[in-house]
Amino acid sequence: MTLDLALRVSEIMLALAFILQGLEHIGARGRERTLYLTRTGLAAILLTGFLSPLICLMLWINALLLLHRFQGPYNGGSDRMGLLILTCITAANVAPTERLQEYAFGYLAMQLALSYIVSGWVKIVNPAWRSGQALQDVFLYSAYPVSGEVRALAARPALLLIAAWAVMLLELLFPLALATQATLAVALVATGLFHLSNAVLFGLNRFFWIWLAAYPSIIWLQQRLFAG
Amino acid sequence: MLRTLSLLAPALAPSWRFFDEIAPSPRVEYTLLPTGDAAPTQWREFRPRPDRLSLRAMIRRLFWNPHWNEGLFLVSCSERLIDGKVDFSRREIMDRVVAEVRSIANPPEHLPYVRFRLTFLYRQNQTVEKHVLYVSDAENWREGAAQ
Repeated sequence: MTLDLALRVSEIMLALAFILQGLEHIGARGRERTLYLTRTGLAAILLTGFLSPLICLMLWINALLLLHRFQGPYNGGSDRMGLLILTCITAANVAPTERLQEYAFGYLAMQLALSYIVSGWVKIVNPAWRSGQALQDVFLYSAYPVSGEVRALAARPALLLIAAWAVMLLELLFPLALATQATLAVALVATGLFHLSNAVLFGLNRFFWIWLAAYPSIIWLQQRLFAG
Repeated sequence: MLRTLSLLAPALAPSWRFFDEIAPSPRVEYTLLPTGDAAPTQWREFRPRPDRLSLRAMIRRLFWNPHWNEGLFLVSCSERLIDGKVDFSRREIMDRVVAEVRSIANPPEHLPYVRFRLTFLYRQNQTVEKHVLYVSDAENWREGAAQ
């Protein structure tokens, strides 16, 4: 995958994610509504590829205004990842040389890999995660389970112990997937399904779409670093 | 400028420490009252989750999930409020509670005042404990701005 193609695919996926987010605020009022409608309109233009560098810059300013409006991200990690992707894409779009474009987009790929590695590491060093207790607590009393039926999974400790280890190993072993295109493809399908399950069980739909928008960067980086 | 940088920095160099520990989890509850100084007797959970969701609803929520994402924002506001960012967080939560009350099909006009409270759930040995950490002042939900 060439840098240009990877950048363009990321732009399109980010634009679609921003449109979905923006439409969710259509019932809001005041500045919240104005900022999200502006974001939705700009994202729709970004989809077309028209004046991408300028549109990215405008989306970036809009993202800063949203940070001010909510005195931080509206939806925590997913908004932060959205801003990270937008920043890297914008930097790559306005970079004067291809080398600088590669650094900007490569930084996104590195952060994507870190999002799994660090997340896996902080879990595996915690005894509560290794015993399955932490994941049981997520289901038992955290705000995330989307229904009583999902919360009831807290009563299945054996299943949650397996799930906790599956998540930790998937996250920690992610960098090994960079070895070949085939292993990376398998890993991205697995992590994509992981985000999908988080969306279904915990309502984290924004994470799902935003993380997918960063995937082209790591597909490009793997080929850039390891393809003959 | 410094404020902008402090908001921007965690996005450009994220910590990625998702779920490193399972912290006490906030819930927003509210009560409707006849007067501003009446003692609350009954609290209701703000947008309680359903017992079950159909597969269709889960798929729809992949694309359209505004209420749930607003709920996640209120979780964040609740945590920020307890951390000391009171004014902004209190306003955001109250605006959404007021909007919720106004959206009731037959809003109880004889109970014009609303308060919300934040309870935090955490595991103590093998049981889940619930502690009230904040109770707001009363506001008249028929007056003023809301979302």
